Amino acid sequence: MGNSDAAVKKLPMQNGNTTNLTLLVNENSTENGTEEYGSNLKILPANDVIRELQTILRDRTTSRSDFKFYADRLIRLVIEESLNQLPFTKCVITTPTGCQYDGLKYQKGNCGVSIVRSGEAMEQGLRDCCRSIRIGKILVESDVDTHEARVVYAKFPDDIAKRKVLLMYPIMSTGNTVIKAIAVLKEHNVLEENIILSNLFCTPFAAKTLVTAFPKMKILTSEIHAVAPNHFGQKYFGCRERGVSKKYN
Amino acid sequence: MAAKVSHYEPPSSASSESEDGKDDREMFFTEEISMDNKFEMGTPTPIPTSPRPPSASSTKSPHSRRQRTVSCSQSNKKTAAESVLQSKTRTIYTAGRPPWYNFAGQQVEPFIIGICGGSASGKTTVATKIIESLDVPWVTLLSMDSFYKVLNEKQHEMAARNEYNFDHPDAFDFELLRKTLQRLKEGKKVEVPIYNFVTHSRESRTKTMYGANVIIFEGILTFYNADVLKMCDMKVFVDTDADVRLARRLKRDISQRGRDLDGVLKQYNTMVKPSFYYYIAPSMVHADIIVPRGGDNEVAIELIVQHIHTQLQLRGFKLREKLALSYIGQPLPNSLYLLPDTPQIKGLHTFIRNEKTHRDEFIFYSKRLMRLVIECALSLLPFKEVSVETPQGVSYNGRRNASEKICGVSILRAGETMEQPLRDVCKDIRVGKILIQTNFETGEPELYYLRLPKDIKDYKVILMDATVATGAAAMMAIRVLLDHDVPADNIMLASLLMAESGVHSIAYAFPNVKIVTSALDPEINEKFYVLPGIGNFGDRYFGTEPSTTADD
Repeated sequence: MGNSDAAVKKLPMQNGNTTNLTLLVNENSTENGTEEYGSNLKILPANDVIRELQTILRDRTTSRSDFKFYADRLIRLVIEESLNQLPFTKCVITTPTGCQYDGLKYQKGNCGVSIVRSGEAMEQGLRDCCRSIRIGKILVESDVDTHEARVVYAKFPDDIAKRKVLLMYPIMSTGNTVIKAIAVLKEHNVLEENIILSNLFCTPFAAKTLVTAFPKMKILTSEIHAVAPNHFGQKYFGCRERGVSKKYN
Repeated sequence: MAAKVSHYEPPSSASSESEDGKDDREMFFTEEISMDNKFEMGTPTPIPTSPRPPSASSTKSPHSRRQRTVSCSQSNKKTAAESVLQSKTRTIYTAGRPPWYNFAGQQVEPFIIGICGGSASGKTTVATKIIESLDVPWVTLLSMDSFYKVLNEKQHEMAARNEYNFDHPDAFDFELLRKTLQRLKEGKKVEVPIYNFVTHSRESRTKTMYGANVIIFEGILTFYNADVLKMCDMKVFVDTDADVRLARRLKRDISQRGRDLDGVLKQYNTMVKPSFYYYIAPSMVHADIIVPRGGDNEVAIELIVQHIHTQLQLRGFKLREKLALSYIGQPLPNSLYLLPDTPQIKGLHTFIRNEKTHRDEFIFYSKRLMRLVIECALSLLPFKEVSVETPQGVSYNGRRNASEKICGVSILRAGETMEQPLRDVCKDIRVGKILIQTNFETGEPELYYLRLPKDIKDYKVILMDATVATGAAAMMAIRVLLDHDVPADNIMLASLLMAESGVHSIAYAFPNVKIVTSALDPEINEKFYVLPGIGNFGDRYFGTEPSTTADD
């Protein structure tokens, strides 16, 4: 019941038998993401829970309290999936029962970078997974008159050039803001292949723009949809977008 | 009699009074203790305006309101200290409830003993003596008094004038009695009415009873109804001489209830005595055993107890070992949902399985993993298509959860650790608890405590335990949920780590229960730990591991 989306995948076992093991994967979650955008763009395996979260976030009647709660849930899932993109090495550990377990270990030298303001909504989700991770920030503002995005503030860990960077920004409609942010990272000698972009909602236009502009960067999103829920930052933080800058500019 | 077992001892029984109807609460309870105390302390107690029904027998309480329907066990007469053993490194509880179903998860029928006999013949004494000598945990004592019919106004007045016949079969609600006994026999939960002898109606409170290994059913007309008679596995008739019974009634009614000799004799001659000869005495032919002289007859009670022991052994309750050995090399069941084997999940497992991981990190990483397991379990619930309006002015076709009622049930102690991750993803979710511990002498799981949301049958239930080895505890918990009328389809078992054999056992016994886990391990050792495993999850999480291996 209610399991229509989860595709049943039969896995060949080592002894050659197939089992009816049900893996929780969806048709969207094929190894290489959607072909249209290349293998570096991945969409979160879309199960019913994720669909529900997206629905709640898009629903106009959702209260702010619910919005923040369910946004945090979706962010957590996106962050968990983004962390899967980080490099790891194999290791063997001993369990309390005295047995060996073939595990794996994540490498050190990662950091997060959030794009102010809505990207900061994803910081807590990252902190909940990696307690002491370093987090840098970039503030990108669009000019009120020309609509041109420009970077007004950036602060990173000193050795960011050596690190893998988890760039966080939840909503992409044109991709302009993210393009500026990546440019700043590159100025700080961060390699394109070391950037992983974590995103919740993305338009096909932004997806296409980004994979074309930065083919080596990994992108992770929960949905590609023509309409971007641009109310995200405003509803999550409860303040109007650019309320301050208009007054002071 | 009942006063003797009336102290409150939480973790050892299956009977309770429902509490404002808010929760199903099953814990140890027997009698209205305050009333008995009052009497014993010599406080003046009002004499009831309404006489006790003639069938009532041997309680000391002067009140006509009483409850003889109790659920109790041998262990409940021990003090709390006796049911707890302190060894060097551990505290062992010995009062839990062993499995009441066989290894395929099917209910093993309880043994029902019907005890019949005339008023004041010593039925309750015999029942109590059987419970005492039986030494079986989990015995339910059901009294016919609970099933008196609710009286209308006219009958109520008759009762006040000693003219209502409480000894006649018409005074009892046999249909309710039959249903109740049938459900108890199936191991299902029942709400036993509490009859108030002052108002001659059922109280709004009920007593929750729950399948027992042995059910003792006593009353003056136990053998009257053919269906009820059929359900009894053993039928005992307590045969006490009429003069002895009359003497007991006179003594009790006059000295304890302040009634006059004429009134008591009138009632005896017009109702109690004729009823005995018309309805009770003839039912003696149905009895398997007739016990002369009631509770004083120790030989008879010993014989009865021996017979019950033999019967219980035949029904068999060995569980864990049988589970561990079955299903080796079978293909994995369809009801198993395994989280995708991503590097993060593997990495989290590496942290929590490592014996060198400190508690702080152990807790942090296991919680992260639990959250993923819970999210995964939630995605298996039924969803429906919806269309919502967006602030962007276009409508969006999405999905919403189709089930209104979802609740969590954790299997204590380790399952409790999954409650917070569950609350983190489900706002205001109700969480029930089931305490199951392994008896270190027998290796069997035992049920100690149970508290579930009211109407749990209407909920989708996410049953949580951190690890599943043989599956014995999880099966007991699932059995408990089924006994509370939760359909198997609505149950989901979520766990961090399971052993293959446990998954097989659960799936074999309950094919419709969905099983969700983040990892599957191949083996179980002789101590029933999963290999390579994670160690004792509860001990590591709560920091209660034996001091030799504790790290800080």
